Formats: sequence, C-alpha cells, structure tokens
Amino acid sequence: MFQPPERPAFLQPGSGGYGIAHSLPEFTFEETPLGLSGGGGGGYGAGSGAAGAGDAGPGSLLYTSPIFSTTGSSVGPASGAFHLPFHHSTSPSANTNTPSPASSSLAHHHLHQRSSPLSSSSSADMESAHDVNAQEAAARDYQPNLQGPLVGNRIPSTVITEAYAKADPVYVAKTMVRYLAGAPRLLLLPLTQAQMLPQTYSHYRPIQGDGNCGWRAIAFGYFETLLSLGNKAELDAERQRIESLNAFIQTAGGHPDYVYQPMADETIELFDRLSAVFSSPEAAMTELLDSFNNAEIAGAIIYHFRLLAGAWLRGNADSFSAFITSDLGVSGYAEATIERPNVEIDNLGIILLVNVLLKPVGFVLEIAYLDRSAGSEVNHYRFPEEANRSHPSELGPTIHLLFRPDHYDILYLAGPPPPPPTTVPEVDLQVHRVAFSQGYEIASTPLHSYADELHANPLALIPGFDAGPPGLNTVMGLGTPSPISPFTASPASPWMSTPFAEPMPQHSQPPRAPITVPTPISAQPPQRHQLRFSEYCQLPEYRDTWREPAFQTSTFKNSHFNVAHYNNPNFQPEEYKPDADESELAPRVGSRKRGSV
Amino acid sequence: MPYEDTHTSTAGSIPAAKLGGARKAAEPGQNAMKRLQTELMQLMTSPAPGVSAFPSADGNLLSWRATIEGPDDTPYAGLTFKLSFEFPSNYPYAPPTVLFSTPIYHPNVDFSGRICLDILKDKWTAAYNTQTVLLSLQSLLGEPNNASPLNGEAAELWDKNPALFKTKVMDRHKDLEDD
Repeated sequence: MFQPPERPAFLQPGSGGYGIAHSLPEFTFEETPLGLSGGGGGGYGAGSGAAGAGDAGPGSLLYTSPIFSTTGSSVGPASGAFHLPFHHSTSPSANTNTPSPASSSLAHHHLHQRSSPLSSSSSADMESAHDVNAQEAAARDYQPNLQGPLVGNRIPSTVITEAYAKADPVYVAKTMVRYLAGAPRLLLLPLTQAQMLPQTYSHYRPIQGDGNCGWRAIAFGYFETLLSLGNKAELDAERQRIESLNAFIQTAGGHPDYVYQPMADETIELFDRLSAVFSSPEAAMTELLDSFNNAEIAGAIIYHFRLLAGAWLRGNADSFSAFITSDLGVSGYAEATIERPNVEIDNLGIILLVNVLLKPVGFVLEIAYLDRSAGSEVNHYRFPEEANRSHPSELGPTIHLLFRPDHYDILYLAGPPPPPPTTVPEVDLQVHRVAFSQGYEIASTPLHSYADELHANPLALIPGFDAGPPGLNTVMGLGTPSPISPFTASPASPWMSTPFAEPMPQHSQPPRAPITVPTPISAQPPQRHQLRFSEYCQLPEYRDTWREPAFQTSTFKNSHFNVAHYNNPNFQPEEYKPDADESELAPRVGSRKRGSV
Repeated sequence: MPYEDTHTSTAGSIPAAKLGGARKAAEPGQNAMKRLQTELMQLMTSPAPGVSAFPSADGNLLSWRATIEGPDDTPYAGLTFKLSFEFPSNYPYAPPTVLFSTPIYHPNVDFSGRICLDILKDKWTAAYNTQTVLLSLQSLLGEPNNASPLNGEAAELWDKNPALFKTKVMDRHKDLEDD
C-alpha cells in the first residue's frame, strides 16, 4: 500500500532532464519572446528519455487544466512522439534551482507586469551602453508599466498554474494542479510531492505590484474579512479602534496631525461607507472594491496603515530594534522602509502591521510562499507567530496571501461551493468521487502517487492524521473553507461547509503521534468562523437520524478518501500500527457501522 | 450567496462610472490639495527664518514658488535663490519636483537647476513637507554632499579653493525678476 517515495526526476542531479509525457505535445505553449525554445529554456526535456518521465508510476502526477487541449484518450505514458520545441537539456544545472532567464522571466509573467528600467532603455542606449547620463535620464524618466486594477476580481487560481506551467520546474511543482473537479483535460507529468495550489486555494485576487501590494493586500483582506464576518457591530467597533489609534500615531509615531489626519479620514470614511451598506453584502463588497481601486482613497488608506505600522515600531522600539539589522536605527528604518511610499512590505513590516491591525481583532495572516526555495511544496507561515502553533480550527478569521518574489496576492481557500443546503453533502462528495475515478482511470497506481504526495508519511494515509502538507486535505477533498470568505459561508447555509471544514482532529503540528480518542468537537463553543457543523451534529434529534450517505461504488465507499464517515458523530479514527499489514487497517468499515446506530 | 461572482462576470474592469460615483472626495489630487492648503497655512502662521513659499500666481495649488536666503558664513551669504515646486497629484505620497530657478553654483545642483537631495528622491516620506524641504535645501547650501556631486568641479573647488568657489558662485548668480 505504501511505497517509499521517489524523488522527483527533475530534482535528481544528473538526471537527463525533465520529461513531459506524451500528452503534452498537444498542448500548445505560446511562443514567448523570451526564447523559451532556445538554449536557456530552463530545463525542459521533452520525452521519456528523462528519468521516469513517461512513467505513470509513483512519480506521476495528473495534471489537469482547462487550458490544456489534450483529450483524455491521448493521456498515456506509454508512447511518445515528442514535438515539443523545448530544448532538451541534459545539463544537470538546468534541472536544479539555478535561475534561467527564461524561467525567471516567466515566473514574473503575471506579477508586476513591469519591465526594469534598464530593459526599457537598453535598446535605445545600445550604442551608448556606458553612457551614465543616458542611463540616469532613463531611470529618471522611467515609469513602471502597471496594468490592471489596483485590486482585481476574484479569479480561479488555476490562472496561476497556467502562468507557471511554462516556467521553472520548481514552480511547476508548486503550482501543479492534480485535478479539478469536472475538468476533462488530463495530463501526466512526472512530478511528485507537488503542492497543488489550486486545490488548496480555489481563487485568488490579483493585486497590482506597484510597491504597495503587500500593504494593499493586507489592508484589503482586513476589510474583506470584516465584511465576511457579517457582524456590523464588529465593523463599527473596528472603526472606533482605528480612529482611536490616531493619537497613537501622533504620540508614538511622532507625526503631526496634518500628516496622518487626511489619510486616517479616508480609512474612517471607508468604514462609514461600508457600514452604511452593510445590510447588503454585495453592495458592501462593491464599495470596498471600488474604494481600493480608487488611487486617491487606496493611497491614503495604505499610507495610513504604513503610519500605523511605523508608530507601532517606534512605540515598541525595544521589542523590535534587535530585528533591524541595518544601521539606520528604529526611526531610520521606519522612514526608509515602512513610511517610504511605494516600498514593498518586508517581514518586519508584516509583523508590525499584523500587531497593530489584525492581532487586536483576532485575525490571522497566513502567507503561502511560492518561491524558488527547495522542495516542491509551498511554504506556509502565519502571523502572528504564535498562530503557527495553533490548529487551523482554533484560528480566528484568516487572511491568505500568496507571496511570489516581490509580490503578494490574496488567496481564497478552496471550499465547497455554496449550493442548496439539502444536497450539498452528496453533491460535494459526488464531485470528489468523480475526480478520483478519473485518477483511477488514468493512473495505474494512484495510491502510490498519493503517498508520494503526502510526503511519504504513512500516517497521512489514515484519515484523521494530517501530516501537514496541505495536499492531504485537498486530495481528500477536505479543503478547509475559508472562514473569511463570505462566499463559502453564506448565511443561508452556514453549516453546510462544515462537514468538510472540521471533520477530524487534525494534529498538524505534532503529526506523528497517533491518537485514538477523537476530539470531542462539540466542546468547542460556536465561533464566529461559523464552524458549527459539530454542534449541529451533536444535537440529539439529529444524532439518531444520521445515515450514511449512499455511494455509488463500494470502492469509494470503503476508501479512506471517503470523508462521509466524518459526519458520524461517533466516528473514531483508526489507530495506525506501523507494523500491521494492510488487512489490519481495514476496520474502518466496522467502526463506521458501529457509529451509525 | 456568491455575490462575488457578479464581479467575476464583469470581466475584470471596474466601471469608471462606478469609481467616480463612489464618493465625492475621490478626484485625483483632492487629498493633495487638502494637504497643501494645510502646509500653506503653516508656512504663513509660523514661518521659518530664511525660507518662504507660496503658490504660484496662476492659482494652481500644485505649483509653488519658493525662496531661500543663503545662510551666513557660507559662500551664498546675502544671496537669495528662487525655486519652483511642482507637486504631483498623489502628493504627499510622492515628493515634489524642486528646481532652482536662480542659477546657482553648487556641488549638488546642476546647471539646469536640478537638485540632488535624498529626501527629494528615495528618502521621501509623507512626513516631509514644503518647509522641511526648504530647510534641508538651505542647509545643503552650507554643507554640500561632495560625495555624490552633480557639479564635479564645484565639489572639488569646495575643499581645494574656497576663494575660487566663492568667485564662481558670484559669477553664476543672477537675480531673477519677480514673476
């Protein structure tokens, strides 16, 4: 059942490139001006010549995306005529994290949309390349070419995957789609342990990369979360709190009121406008989006938050001075980084802003770092720092950001769509069943590839043990719906998302310790993130009426990917015994029957 | 319900009418005007010695004229310099463009009147204002940053030949008529 993981072929030094299975040639890559088809193509090798490339074994990964025009019938590892224009690289360096011009440029394809000053002037200054004056003039006149709205609309996160599909293998791995429910296009790629961004996060919201994106993303997420809570009193309370911080900016930040007052006024006015239309979530969201796309308003709010962070830094200089490594000092750092317009937020800035803005209201910021760090999994980190030790269900409303080098966007967790309440469980499970049946059709040994994905942690195969990789949740269709999202937790069916939100005691921090006693979920008081399913589940009138949903295949019904048994209030996760063979892992069915009295 | 979907369906563009109609104070430069009015009030009620500034005669609040008196004990003592301030519409989130209108011989000013001063470039924050810029420029007259000169000859003469420097300052200086 479980096999040791294979290292991804493309990460092995010396392996002959990074193969793309047969189906890929039918996918039409755009010819980019970056010369991807040239020598510096970033380590794409077309074909099964690469180690394990065309193999549908453990190292394989189903890649589906609407953009791929391959038909399902052609998906197969067996044969391969390779038409890819990509340079077949045999250089080990091309398979490692060595940046190549093409891949790194592609990586930023969807990011800032701006070219560097040098590149914008390079052609004009070709003959006077060393003319410092010309370069200085170009730099002086340089205007970044920023496109798109300041804060974009929510769009499916598969867009990110598509943008990265042509990029460096590290990025490909981290953004890989395994499957999308209902997506008919399948591809096989020799990737393992891929963090499937679109599975964890269904949507994202692009933020303009004008140097304020981190500030803008957090500020927008703050307001959006306030709206999603659906609590007008909380919104008004936050308005009071933010307004009361004006004095803090003056005393701790040392700014006279004419500096911060116009900016704080814009923030307060936004609170007021949101409060005025609060009864209509749609109108409030429109107001928020419009305000953040108004450069005048957004600029003021963002700078207001910069001033808040700067004041927090100066007001807590003792706590933070050790983190300022430059010789600027606390005040110099605040001026040079925090309060300097259009300068991107850094880690300390995030900590400061979280401390002054999010922590007092109980919000959590979680950032997924999609960068070129080693490994094939997106790293996550939460702010404030102590939130990293907490179970997701214990966290307050969480703002998710996606970090790509020098840029932040807002992410939204994949959650079940908000369909009619009475049909949701079956609909949702049906979706995943279909998705997995695709997997079974395509991959001959799907469990093996799953095991690889789950970081080869045997515990991860057991429902109830989240070994940490978000891939598990998503593979199992257990993506936690974003508590901040008003779209997954609509007032009409607030409990509907929860069967998949908090189905099991996930001990993700110490994942290796087997547990036998399920956490009594009902012990948790109703929280504002609306994870109320357990409460519903424990109601006596429902306890006896719980019925196992009908499934269409016994294979799936008995599979540990079936999450239906989490609906059973008497469900007990099985205990994992490392020495036991597979037959002893079976009593799941029995326990479920016991529970369904 | 998924009201966000309505946004998604509007194909990524924020209708301009919506933006304009969002609120009244949203026109570009509105906040800059407000801020500049405040600064003007401050300059008039508590003027700093040796510097002054006022919006230019055409009534455009984004365009100012300023004067700096050369500090005593510097080669510029007794001279008066006029400057122009052009404020961007996103002021104070971006610095004003400041030029010397009066020809000046100074290591950090070129012959077009452009100034090399960090707070007018990458050190700018919204906490600076017109008065602090003028006071910084005034102190720059007495303490040039000779490490990064715009006028290399001036930077050299400042240390090596103060007398010649003073001569060049006086040669270059030319009082402008009031505009």
